Amino acid sequence: MSYILAKSQNDDILKAGECGGAVTSIFKYLLDEGIVDGVLALSPFDDVYDAMPTFITDSEELLNTAGSYHCAPTMVGDLIQKYLYDKKVAVSVKPCDMRAVEELITRHKINRDNIYLIGLNCGGTVSPVSGRKMIDLFYEADPDDVVSEEIDKGQFIIEFADGSEEAVKIHELEEKGYGRRNNCQRCDVKIPRKANIACGNWGAEDGWTFIEINDEKGQELIDGAKKAGILETKNPSDAAVEGRTKVENIMIKMAKKNQDAIYPTVSEMDEWSRCISCYACRDVCPICWCFENCELNKPYFKDETNVPPSPIAFQGVRLSHMSFSCVDCGQCDDVCPMDIPVSLIFDKLQKKYCERTGYVAGVSDDIKPPLYSPEKTEL
Amino acid sequence: MLEIKHTLCPSCSVGCGINVVLDDGEIVGTFPYKRHPVNAGKNCLNGRNSINCYKNKFENVEVNALISDVLKELQSVDSFNVTVICSGNNSVEEIDAIKEFAESNDFNIGFYADNLINVDEVASYDDIENAEKIFVIGDLLYENPLIGRRIVHAKQNGAKIFAYCKSETSVICNLADECFNNSVDEFLDVNNANIDESSVLIFNQIDSAENLDKIKALNCKLLPVFSKSNSKGALNVLESKSKDEMLELFDNTKLLLVFDDDVVEEFDYDFSKISKIISFAPCENETTKISDIVVPIKTWLEKDGSFVNAMGSIQTFNTIVESDVLSEIEIIEKLKG
Amino acid sequence: MSDDLKIVGLLCNWCCYGGADTAGTARMQYSPNIRIIRVMCSGRINPSMIFKAFQEGADGVFVGGCHIGDCHYDAGNYKWSRRSKIVEDILEEFGIEKERFRHEWISASEGEKFQRTMEEFHKTLSKLGPLELK
Repeated sequence: MSYILAKSQNDDILKAGECGGAVTSIFKYLLDEGIVDGVLALSPFDDVYDAMPTFITDSEELLNTAGSYHCAPTMVGDLIQKYLYDKKVAVSVKPCDMRAVEELITRHKINRDNIYLIGLNCGGTVSPVSGRKMIDLFYEADPDDVVSEEIDKGQFIIEFADGSEEAVKIHELEEKGYGRRNNCQRCDVKIPRKANIACGNWGAEDGWTFIEINDEKGQELIDGAKKAGILETKNPSDAAVEGRTKVENIMIKMAKKNQDAIYPTVSEMDEWSRCISCYACRDVCPICWCFENCELNKPYFKDETNVPPSPIAFQGVRLSHMSFSCVDCGQCDDVCPMDIPVSLIFDKLQKKYCERTGYVAGVSDDIKPPLYSPEKTEL
Repeated sequence: MLEIKHTLCPSCSVGCGINVVLDDGEIVGTFPYKRHPVNAGKNCLNGRNSINCYKNKFENVEVNALISDVLKELQSVDSFNVTVICSGNNSVEEIDAIKEFAESNDFNIGFYADNLINVDEVASYDDIENAEKIFVIGDLLYENPLIGRRIVHAKQNGAKIFAYCKSETSVICNLADECFNNSVDEFLDVNNANIDESSVLIFNQIDSAENLDKIKALNCKLLPVFSKSNSKGALNVLESKSKDEMLELFDNTKLLLVFDDDVVEEFDYDFSKISKIISFAPCENETTKISDIVVPIKTWLEKDGSFVNAMGSIQTFNTIVESDVLSEIEIIEKLKG
Repeated sequence: MSDDLKIVGLLCNWCCYGGADTAGTARMQYSPNIRIIRVMCSGRINPSMIFKAFQEGADGVFVGGCHIGDCHYDAGNYKWSRRSKIVEDILEEFGIEKERFRHEWISASEGEKFQRTMEEFHKTLSKLGPLELK
């Protein structure tokens, strides 16, 4: 584990990229050297609220991916698992992406040797539709005029084409039901330390990317990019390292506070009475990789006449299958047509499981969730 | 190579956005389209299954031979015995082409829009969320979940929900403050005095013409929700027929041209009474199974076009995958010679 | 018996099922509310089976396996014992009292323990009354 500051040696990337452009440069290095078949990163489609995972094989197109997109709560775990299993891929991951990838590696659905994880520190994401509404309401600005956004020092900041900025405190937004997605508000994994490297601007000086190198593969990556002449690095000052730790700790503290408040039991939530059994939550779940052969669709569980389903026969079964591996990515909340806060109970059960076993999904170093190990131990 | 592209869901008239995932140019899955203002990335089961139409599409065939067969059939019947079926499955552009084709040949047009009506000033989806009282006819939560979601929001905003649904155990009844199960008649009569400008009436099924008249006379915003993606767009240019009128039309038909629709599934009618049925469809359905000639056409993923959704917004969609199959419009051009 | 409390019992073939058999052949009396389902090992019991039983109207679910160390398949009962903790956590979520779910290690010779366990479990469930799932 070591820290460095990095900066791109490529002028175009420096201009387009966020704080030093190290991530884009590393992608370019991997593509140009032929180390990977492609790069999976976010790039904006129609506007800044519409960034989608894009598979890039030509390093010329990497410039489109530069920048940060907080209004793109996407998930890459299932994309890699379903469509990129046999390809060598470099991918930018938020902590929840990384955790999902880790869990899928455990399940042999992603091959660790095939994948470079470039971690991005994450303070949370905002749903695009509610984000636009929020900009209209709290910033009194036309969401279409926003050219970029940033979360910094407890504020959600938007920037306009003329370079001017507007900022509102995140907790003010969140009190009113806007701001970051609910699962992001309670997420306490802010730096993806299971990724090969974790990049961000926390603690970094202007124009540089702060990188935590997490493993040997990460070190090789940085050394390679330096050797190829695309990246320059220097050691961060002690104050920079401290500054970064401070930001992380504040974020975690905020998250823990939110965790205290919001976990009702399933039987206390009347939202389940509007479940329409559409299985969107299961199908989108990155951990539920075997949903095409799901126990819920077996004749002995299938109960099509029963809408809404009995919560224990639907979510109960799902909870028992994978709640201990829930990475709290919030995708199930995002896709539920009935706006049921599905992820609440899964996250809660993973936290209970963590209390019993110490296993944090996609973060702990154990090879398998203890539930699956053949060991002769009791909990 | 992995690719994600935006398109529209063709499953009903709500007009949700959906992303499709392509692997080496083949459609392999869907992905949430969270930026879309209608559904914010949420899709119901029908929506996520909509790509099955592409996966199960007909193989491309030598279409010229089929077209000349169709032309032969058309020449062998008097034009007043020919009926052209179009529906909300056809895009705005296709409806125009079909209408022009049918009118210039003096064919009958059979267009059915769930026995519902066209409303000039429909309630928007935001109107639902801001209404004080919501009256619902049909299990909108289950059948059109992304409208249902707006009703859920309305309730969270403090609206009172009144619903009619045949089944007492339906999800809309779980949400509604008051639920009626006997008849639409009773529902409208009991609530008539209660319905005012601050109300929105949302319906996806009406059983009788009298009830439609009652609804038209109401002093509130209306939102009819159709079962097909462009029914509203088609209603803007065509008169729809009631169920009875459709059945009567079938009785007078010797040659039935079905443009991307499934009349066999939709109508309880003995279609063997019609001597020839010709289907233009992208994939198999109940109607193509009994059709004498089936002409494959492009799925919505293979063509450009636009739909008008239930609240009247025109939404365009672009070609996701190129294909050599002809579109309905190209086929109509060929039929015109 | 006038009460109609329903207990679903999932018993491992090699130990607890034998224990129930021993209790039976020795004509030991216990409440007849249990419906026994024989499984090859407690390690093959999925949480979903327990949930299914509750959903279909069971008022209590009992799981019986071999004593730790005696598993016919070496480690099946360890797996079950870890899994049972998850089941407990999840049942709590659905408002099902944890007393309605019980598991016990009972060997084939322990007919008396089986009898005693059944009596205790029945008494517990009688106090709780029938389960009303939300």
